[in-house]
Amino acid sequence: MVHALEEIQRLLKPDGCLIDIHPFPEERLIGAYQGGRVLFTESVPVPAHDYKVISQAEDALAQVVQRGLFVVERNSEFNLPIYGSSVTELRDFRAKIGAYDDSPKDDAVEAQRTVLYARVEEIMQAAGDGAEVAYHERARITRMNPNARKEELI
Amino acid sequence: MTIRVDPENNEPRALFDLAGFNGQRVLEIGCGDGRLTWRYADKAGHVIAIDAFAESIARAKENISGELKDRVEFRHIAFEDFAAASESSTFDRAILSWSL
Repeated sequence: MVHALEEIQRLLKPDGCLIDIHPFPEERLIGAYQGGRVLFTESVPVPAHDYKVISQAEDALAQVVQRGLFVVERNSEFNLPIYGSSVTELRDFRAKIGAYDDSPKDDAVEAQRTVLYARVEEIMQAAGDGAEVAYHERARITRMNPNARKEELI
Repeated sequence: MTIRVDPENNEPRALFDLAGFNGQRVLEIGCGDGRLTWRYADKAGHVIAIDAFAESIARAKENISGELKDRVEFRHIAFEDFAAASESSTFDRAILSWSL
């Protein structure tokens, strides 16, 4: 990760910038809604591996800032929702976009998720027409400016 | 109903709040199927959007509109390989799109 950031710094023009977007694993929610009304929301269990990967990414970013390769100019947070008409549809979509995820399976977390998704589906069916489900992921977006490279300072 | 991703445009709003893209030369790393690329590409001067997964890039290429074809290049390549073949000081913007 650090090497990738070093390479990005090299590829950027001196007045360019890097925009990093990465999620907060602890802030994933699933909710059921109907006509703008919240029927249900709950946190989605997250595998320990996800925390580890994000932690490694944040460490790498901190390291290149500490070494003076980049300066953090500004950051903010946003919510990325994905809406679907059923839990199955939403899960299929997420499986498709995450099909390349080679992280180890966490059976305990999968079992917890299955129970949670079944509960959401029940709530939606009980609510009837117009109910929809949404998966919310919170992300941090950071603008980092490259510092002048050493060879440019000589 | 079909799947709707970020219909409130939270992600592009946050992106444009941090950086302008008008006429800029952009490298997007981990572009996937181009979900974020479509949001800024019409403003950029030129975009190279890369992803290590062939299926994602194939989907992105399928969805590219005619007016963006000359401006956006989707490439199936790992970042390490792309960087090794690229010259320094080439891009105005680099986006790590949920990919570090």
